[in-house]
Amino acid sequence: MRQAHVDIKTWFRVVRERQRYGGVFLFRGIKKACAILLASGVLVSHAIAADVVTTYKDEAGWKLQVNGEDFFVKGVVWGYTPRDENYNYNLWGQPDEFVRKVLDYEFGLMQAAGVNAIRSFNFMPPKWVTYVYREFGIMVAINPLVGRYGAVIDGRYIEFTDYSDPRTREFLKAESLALVEKYKNVDGVLMFAFGNESNYGLSWSSFEIENLPVGEQNREKAKYLYSLFNEIMAEGKKIAPNHPFTIVNGDLQYIDLIAEYCTDMDLLGINAYRGNSFTTLWEEVDQKLDLPVLFFEFGSDAYNARTGEEDQLNQALIIKDQWREMYHKSYGNGEEGNAIGGFQFEWRDEWWKYLQEERLDIHDTNASWANGGYPHDFVDGQNNMNEEWWGITQLGTVNEDGIYEANPRMAYDVLAEVWKIDPYTHKKAAINRDFDDINMEYIELKGDVRELKVARKEDRKLLYLTGGSLNVKGVLKADEANIDDFGDDGDEFSDGQMVFVDFGFNPTKDLEGQFTINLLGNVANQSPIELAYGDRGQPVTVQVTQEFDGIDGEVTVGREFRDRERIEIYDFDSQYQGKYFDLDAFYHTPRYHWKYEGDFFGLVREATDIAGQDIYNSKAPYGVEFATKEATETEGFKFVVGPEIYWGANPKWIAKWQSSFGKVLPFVGDGVLGKTEFSVIYFDDLDRGDNAVAATGPTTRETRAGTLYTKTSFNDDWSLELGAIWSADEKEGEEYTKFVNGETRLDTVDDEDSFGFKAKLNFPLLGGLAYVGGHYAGLVAAGGDPLKEFGTRLPYSDLGNKREIEAGILLPVGNWWFFPRFLTRDNLIDANPLIEPDINDPILNPGSIPRNTDDDPFAVLDNREVDAYEFFITYDPTGATGFYQWDNDMREDARFAFNIGLNYHEQPTITDSYQFFFEPTNEDIPFGVGLPDQDIWIVSSRSVWNPTTKWRLIANIERSQLQSTGDPTGGTRTFWDLDGKVVYDNKHILAGYYKEDAFGPYDFQRQFNITFPRYWALDYKFLMDPKKSEKNSSHLGLRYIWRKIDDDSRITDPLDRDNDYQWQLLAYYTMNFGGTNPPEARF
Amino acid sequence: MKYQLRESLQRYSLKALSVVSLMACFLVVPGCGGPSNSDGRVITEIVLPTDTLLNLRCQNVGINTETCVLGDPENPFRTTLTLEFNVNDPDADTKFDLAAKLPAGPTGAKSRFYLWATALARFPSGENQWFTALALHELWDAAGDPIIQEQALKAYRSQLDNFFGAVVFFECCAGLIPGDPTRPVPFSATLNELTADNLYRTEATGFARLIPGDPLLAQSVIAQWGYTYRPATAPLFNDGLVFLSVFP
Repeated sequence: MRQAHVDIKTWFRVVRERQRYGGVFLFRGIKKACAILLASGVLVSHAIAADVVTTYKDEAGWKLQVNGEDFFVKGVVWGYTPRDENYNYNLWGQPDEFVRKVLDYEFGLMQAAGVNAIRSFNFMPPKWVTYVYREFGIMVAINPLVGRYGAVIDGRYIEFTDYSDPRTREFLKAESLALVEKYKNVDGVLMFAFGNESNYGLSWSSFEIENLPVGEQNREKAKYLYSLFNEIMAEGKKIAPNHPFTIVNGDLQYIDLIAEYCTDMDLLGINAYRGNSFTTLWEEVDQKLDLPVLFFEFGSDAYNARTGEEDQLNQALIIKDQWREMYHKSYGNGEEGNAIGGFQFEWRDEWWKYLQEERLDIHDTNASWANGGYPHDFVDGQNNMNEEWWGITQLGTVNEDGIYEANPRMAYDVLAEVWKIDPYTHKKAAINRDFDDINMEYIELKGDVRELKVARKEDRKLLYLTGGSLNVKGVLKADEANIDDFGDDGDEFSDGQMVFVDFGFNPTKDLEGQFTINLLGNVANQSPIELAYGDRGQPVTVQVTQEFDGIDGEVTVGREFRDRERIEIYDFDSQYQGKYFDLDAFYHTPRYHWKYEGDFFGLVREATDIAGQDIYNSKAPYGVEFATKEATETEGFKFVVGPEIYWGANPKWIAKWQSSFGKVLPFVGDGVLGKTEFSVIYFDDLDRGDNAVAATGPTTRETRAGTLYTKTSFNDDWSLELGAIWSADEKEGEEYTKFVNGETRLDTVDDEDSFGFKAKLNFPLLGGLAYVGGHYAGLVAAGGDPLKEFGTRLPYSDLGNKREIEAGILLPVGNWWFFPRFLTRDNLIDANPLIEPDINDPILNPGSIPRNTDDDPFAVLDNREVDAYEFFITYDPTGATGFYQWDNDMREDARFAFNIGLNYHEQPTITDSYQFFFEPTNEDIPFGVGLPDQDIWIVSSRSVWNPTTKWRLIANIERSQLQSTGDPTGGTRTFWDLDGKVVYDNKHILAGYYKEDAFGPYDFQRQFNITFPRYWALDYKFLMDPKKSEKNSSHLGLRYIWRKIDDDSRITDPLDRDNDYQWQLLAYYTMNFGGTNPPEARF
Repeated sequence: MKYQLRESLQRYSLKALSVVSLMACFLVVPGCGGPSNSDGRVITEIVLPTDTLLNLRCQNVGINTETCVLGDPENPFRTTLTLEFNVNDPDADTKFDLAAKLPAGPTGAKSRFYLWATALARFPSGENQWFTALALHELWDAAGDPIIQEQALKAYRSQLDNFFGAVVFFECCAGLIPGDPTRPVPFSATLNELTADNLYRTEATGFARLIPGDPLLAQSVIAQWGYTYRPATAPLFNDGLVFLSVFP
């Protein structure tokens, strides 16, 4: 199974950073590409010197000038993200030819409207800055974010940038100035701006500041922020004296500090969302700063949260009012004269904003914040800002060049008219006349006609098709025995077809969702080598009794049933957003755990391995989540109920309430121990489910549990987590046996056996981050899935009956990480050995039975006694793409990154008996005997190469000695496991593995200790749409799997023939017409 | 590095000390308690019951799929391994070896019931159900308790309802296999036939018939259960047949 991506929260932040800084981390072939472009002569004929951009002031006000010419910024915030993609999409990583087509399309449309500048969160490589300037006359504001969304400093990701930390300041300053150096002579650069509403992100903590009241804390932090900005600007102006320098502030917050600290700033850049008027902003800036004002974000969304409909008219009206005011406030109109333009937010809708990872092909209407400055759709107590609807153009469908079109909204047409007006040649009266002359009715009508012409398929309807895919495959398979017996006829061919059809629905403004239907044609038989989604349609043989002519009585015969389950609902989810609560129904769509939301014991398990579940046609997660309107990751109430809210869960309900004391800790007082959050969680199983995890994982007894959790963060580095659990009290009074010193004893579960306690302290040490933790759990105080970070293989367990201590330290040294970790555990009650009973009349010696979790209140399984040591060395020069993130194979951007690790687990005692789920009788069956005392070890290494932008190689090597996870028969296995993947030009993907004496690729194979002397596979895939990711592109491929079998493979031939190998050849073709491709077999 | 460490320790020492103390108390206090290996009652020597008075733990004790016998404090085998035959270890001791050590006759009947009922609760199979029924039959024969009589009939019926096609393996007749004079010959018997035979003939079990009177009454009861019994015939009584009744 894939490593659970438990550190998803950190990952989100890292990718956000990466999204903003994509240009810094990703592109290594720029010089080469530039050379090619220059050689092609595209740019040579236009070569001129870099521009001189200055601000100008006299008694009439301020102006921005480029090479001495007035330049009123008529800009947009620009980015290009296709449907089905998110912040992870990297236009600059595409082939130059495609990039040029996109820019030609986008900037051509902008040029037509009169746009003269853009701001972009993705760093546009210098050659393209120059290209769009020379081809379209559009300049670019270079905007380093200076740690706004965290920073990777010395190989360590800092979630909340501490601007007071000397090392952080040094790093951010050097990084920002390097960008200034890089762009200083690039034609088309308008200015340098730093941060993005950074005054709203002053979240770091430290001992000194935490002792101040909240308002004062932020003010003190802001001083550090602005002093750093000014240091950067002062130094930057020495490097690039021909460009203005500014910051991007969130409105006018801390304007007095800006005046005090940002003395080297040339103009004030701000993001302002005040509705159709900026009110007193101009006057305040004039009085306190005496600098020109440039908006880096402002505008209006195009979705009316009140009516639940797209509202192009109100968006256009607000934008028109905003620009009219800016013109009034510009140079020479007798007012403040400090407006020099702005970047309209934004060029085009971004469909990934809501949820960011999901529903990427759906234009969500979720409103995420409230703003009374937009009265046309503001209702007190309700959100009205719709993040996916801020574009002055819509995100259209893909054209023949593979470019997602921008369909202009009414706002685009209005702006085109507005930008025809020159604020410096028109005086106020003329400006007003020209604005009044903009024919809104005509533009509205024009927009309506355009809408009809475009006739977009994705118009919102009650129910609409969003995409789908078609998968066709053919399988040829054979084994030695059949080939020996039948020669060429010994192989077997089958074919399969499968269609996914995705639908969206949006019947009311508060309710939207999607579902996918799966249809099967024939079902290819890939068993036994592969298990695949769609196997539900395989024929089954049922024993039936019937009478036959000439035969006395009934005869039992097997009857085959074909054409089963040809249609099923593959997944479904819907979101209802009410006034006081949100309701989310989910069925087989990914759900994350709550371990970063106060679930210290992991009661809610992650359910994101949808492809893994599909192998066994599991439909988890399945349920409904209710969340109060104010619920966030750190606050509020959530309630989930469902038949299987994570894979293998019993039908249950679970409730969580989470809050924080601010800086107050009970009994300790205000401000003494930093910020404290706490949570209370309780769940109760409604029934015992019959869904196993994987093919044969055991089900669990019906139970209940509650947890208390508190986390105190003293500053960014020091934090203490404490938790208590009360679990499975229904087992109180249940008997269990234990075998001690040759005697069998009978005992019962007491009430205190239901309690567990857990603590973890994180603290800085030796320049790294260290932790120590402890966990005491009574006999039945089982929790859930423990949090596992940084790819650890320490043997954590969800079961009770343990005393556990762990410690580790993450030491970054340059681009290297050293991470030793240790965990020791012993059991309160040891496992029972298998000792046969005996009878000496009339005395029975009952012997000893290994316990199991069905017949006994507890068992010693993966919570066995252990001393586990782990040491990992990691080299990753680009820490923003975390090496241990679950999707690092896809995202790692270092030229070379690798790790090597060792795990050694001393296991001095035996276990009780594991169980397996036996589907025919729908029950768990114990293996009857536990695993022996045996040390295990793993030596592993993973490496990622990106030698050029076109090539990517990933390799994993592992040498291990491991035990089964169930059946001890056959003993401990020592094996090799190698796998790798090569990607070329995002078109050709070659993947494969080689295993020697290893478990097979499926969970049950390790559970039953099934190994193969040799097992290898090779898969070649050709992506037919290389602009899309592997999961979204149409493709065709060929896969060959071969395995040698022996007695440990447990594949018996009833005829006892010589049968030493099996193989399978699979050809597949997937045609994607929108949405995500079907789940692939785990080969 | 040393400087960093010193500075770090100086800066945080007081807080760290208080935090670690809090954490230690949190873990150590409960950690000092908890169960111990020395708790509990020693059960290494369990005196097997020799009486014939059986208290039924629940209504369907000894009937598949009821498992309440595992929680019956009178059941001496509830903590005892009842090993099934393991094809991977055919020479290992099994429940049959344990059963063979129980006293023959009425003094072992109650223990036999508990042994087989325990085995049935842990591993539902035809042979476990059949031997449970047989033990109940024996107990009723010894004590004449009508409740046990009814339970025995339910157990036999469960054998037909739940494990109709099950067989049991017997061994006998050592010396018949050429070259291996000590190895007995295994043979299988169909349990539905043995069940019907046990109800039909006293000689089949050596116990009084559960359905007294004319043996035809036994056939009638079996018919009411939905089966048709064609009795075995002398001298070997191995040709009986049980069919599912077919109703128009």
